[in-house]
Amino acid sequence: MNTLVVLLLILFGGGIIAYFAYNIHKIVGDIWLVLVGFAASIYYIGYLDVSQVLNIHLAGFVLTLALNSFSWIFGLLIAVLLPLVALYSIPYMKGQDRLGWFYMLFLFSVGGMYGILMAGDWLTLFIFWEIMTWSSYLIVIYRRSEDAPRVGLKYLIFSAIGAYSLLTAIVLIGANVHSLSISKFFEVLPMHSLGFKVLVGSLMLIGFGVKAAVMPLHVWAPDAYSTTPMNYTSMFSGALSKMGIYGIGLIVINLYYHSGISLAGEIVAWFGAITAVLATYYALIQKDAKRLMAWSSVAQLGYIVAGLGIGTKLSVFAGIYLAVLHGLFKANLFMAIGAVERQAGTTNFSELRALIRKMPWTFFSALISVIVLAGIPPLSGFVGKWMLYESMITSGHYVIVVFLFLASVAGFLYAFRFLFGVFLGQEEKEFEHVKEANPFMTVPMLLIALFLIVLGTFPGIMFKYIARSMADLGFYGVTYKMSVLTNDWGQSINMQYIAASLVIVFVLFLIVLTWVAYKNSRNVTTKDIHTSGEPPSEEDNYHFSENFYRPFQRAFAFVYKYAITPVYNEFARGIEDFFQYVRRLYTGNAQTYALYVLLFLAILFLIAKNIH
Amino acid sequence: MNIWNLLLSAIVTTLLGFIIGVTYMGIRRKIVALAQNRYGPPIYQNFLDILKFWSKESNIYHGVMHHLAPLWMIAMAITILLIVPTQYGSKFFENLSFNGDLILILYLMPFGQLGMALGVGQTGNPNSAIGVTRGLSLLVGSEIPFIMALIAVMIQYHTTSVTDLVRIQQEHHTWIMFSSPFAFLAALCVLPAMFHAGPYEVIIAPAELASGPMSEFGGKYLGTMMSAGSIFMFAKLTLFVDVFMGGSTNWLWLIVKTFTVYLFVIAVGIIMPRLRTEQAIRRLWGWPLVFAILAFIQVALF
Repeated sequence: MNTLVVLLLILFGGGIIAYFAYNIHKIVGDIWLVLVGFAASIYYIGYLDVSQVLNIHLAGFVLTLALNSFSWIFGLLIAVLLPLVALYSIPYMKGQDRLGWFYMLFLFSVGGMYGILMAGDWLTLFIFWEIMTWSSYLIVIYRRSEDAPRVGLKYLIFSAIGAYSLLTAIVLIGANVHSLSISKFFEVLPMHSLGFKVLVGSLMLIGFGVKAAVMPLHVWAPDAYSTTPMNYTSMFSGALSKMGIYGIGLIVINLYYHSGISLAGEIVAWFGAITAVLATYYALIQKDAKRLMAWSSVAQLGYIVAGLGIGTKLSVFAGIYLAVLHGLFKANLFMAIGAVERQAGTTNFSELRALIRKMPWTFFSALISVIVLAGIPPLSGFVGKWMLYESMITSGHYVIVVFLFLASVAGFLYAFRFLFGVFLGQEEKEFEHVKEANPFMTVPMLLIALFLIVLGTFPGIMFKYIARSMADLGFYGVTYKMSVLTNDWGQSINMQYIAASLVIVFVLFLIVLTWVAYKNSRNVTTKDIHTSGEPPSEEDNYHFSENFYRPFQRAFAFVYKYAITPVYNEFARGIEDFFQYVRRLYTGNAQTYALYVLLFLAILFLIAKNIH
Repeated sequence: MNIWNLLLSAIVTTLLGFIIGVTYMGIRRKIVALAQNRYGPPIYQNFLDILKFWSKESNIYHGVMHHLAPLWMIAMAITILLIVPTQYGSKFFENLSFNGDLILILYLMPFGQLGMALGVGQTGNPNSAIGVTRGLSLLVGSEIPFIMALIAVMIQYHTTSVTDLVRIQQEHHTWIMFSSPFAFLAALCVLPAMFHAGPYEVIIAPAELASGPMSEFGGKYLGTMMSAGSIFMFAKLTLFVDVFMGGSTNWLWLIVKTFTVYLFVIAVGIIMPRLRTEQAIRRLWGWPLVFAILAFIQVALF
């Protein structure tokens, strides 16, 4: 049997069975969910035959399922996240109702993602794209909170815009190329006119850009990411958004660079860079950990889009690397936020206080992920950032690299905001009862954190797969080394020496400092601090959480003045007014309707008379 | 490369960096005092201070991150000092300079600051956290003109490595401050902000406020932090000299050049009054940014 179909059967069949399993008992459902998660993951990594192709003839169309190395790496990301998220979900979703419904949609959306990656023709891609969109939409509105309908509607509207432009592009391809096969399309593309290429490319980029949350199509993302239950958000932001990146990668490289319109790629890169900067600026003024990370997702995806848009060997390499990395660390961060939400009951910065002593493991994994997010060496985030910047500098894109650098320096601000707001600061009695999260939640997070640490010094573990996937995009002869990074001008750095130097000095001084200071150490509380002779009383709490970056906001007030949401709202109001006007046609008077019929017949008659 | 040789030279470089850095700080205190019509402490005062901190018996412990904070700082400072080329042409003092990538060095700097920020956060002192937010906000101000200046230099000389830049300057007997003057000016303008000195000292607000990131650190922690701070300061000065002033072939020449740059930072600090954070960001995005853009135009045209 075809292995691709088996994987889809595991996920879709598993989803339907999960629905019934949860209706029997929660434990049965949980066991089934974890089984499906591990089965799909192990099957994908171990048993999937990449060379297999399946053609289904259906109503005159040929639906093709085929995987290539480029899509395989995105599938690998899903395969790594799925079992970990499944384990995490068991304690996280405890006490929620309609679990069967939730997990059925969950597995459907994962199946949809795999379907997109396997799609060999545009129609299959579109079908699975819609399955993924609909199941994720239903999960967004799963929690019956006040916000859910509004957020869901926003997500649905933008998804619909994306889907329609995707469909238009597919219809255009069908009409002009007479084949819906993806590889065939890219083959014959150079023969077509410039207008066709630009039109189809732009429509496709709108379709994929919605899921990748590229500005100005990002409006749904911060709301949807923060409203959804966190175990799905880690897939949502970690894996589902990468489907948009997958599509953008296909289009930008194959359609623009291989058929000679590199300017379009540059424009895409600029969209990515501006997304990165503005989303970072919005992330650092958020008052809620979920929303902060949601905006941060938008910003990080901006980097990836910029990397793919530049289109040199190193930048595409960096883009794919960052895409996989973002999937891992952002999933981890949303899991950590979910753990905090579950244990402390809130994710609002103005309520949370100093959870570091209560939730040390969650803090540790969040810290590692934040360091990776900020791109600080010697962890894996730096590897991606380095390759991205060097690729841009060596290919002469030095204005865009300044924008990305700005986004990344401002990224330190929200990174600290998140860690400080959730885990540090003055302790509060209200949170004394908080305990560390369930091991089912912490162990998956720690596993990802550990992998992110190792990947910093030995990025070659992942380079192997990325180098292979580059061949599918038309970049042949990509070389890589285990720990040495090289740019296009021939300069290189060795991550092993950097990690060794940092670790040796760190450990050396740790031993000395602990040895010398241990004996007379006095443990003090967060109230026992230097406050210029005004010791805080029991009731006082000097936690710093309001107006965190006020001076920064003042300095960059001109950025915060503008937002795209009012523009969309204005547009929607305009449309509404227009239809209010159109509505007046329905007067309710039979004579008016009779007039309409008469007018219609008259027009029909005139037209018919002129056509011979 | 011989690993023992590397270890030995690393230790020697670190010690030299430490001695020079701490002496510079002592000289700074003296100069500032003289400018304010005071007598001031002796030049070796900072050595005595560090010795005193390390011999303190009691130790205040706020938690793990607080304990680790100075270690992040010192690991970062020593690593950067080893990466930045101190001696052109010397086999012994090569250290890790083959890794001398400018982007790497720029990204290593937040490593220490992040550790410090976390340690500060765990103490629960609101003033310290405010100091950190100010520092991070200023970082956005100073880093952008500085990276633009560096990118202009990188593109002009077709290399991203500071070691290569030193080699090119030594071979061609030129200084980049003359061949790309605008990049030099941009970097020079933001230099005080990178040292948290001059008008950009709102982060630590010395002299009148018992606030700033350091306020909850005492004894051995503060001693480690001060050592790390002086090594880091010397590493930054060396980086600036390497990029714009041709590096050096011996320690004496390096000291002359770095001290000249440091004198500039001290002088600016004495003359200019302190700025508020948003004013500082606006000022850093004013003329320095103009110079940086001019540097880009220079690279694009010539």
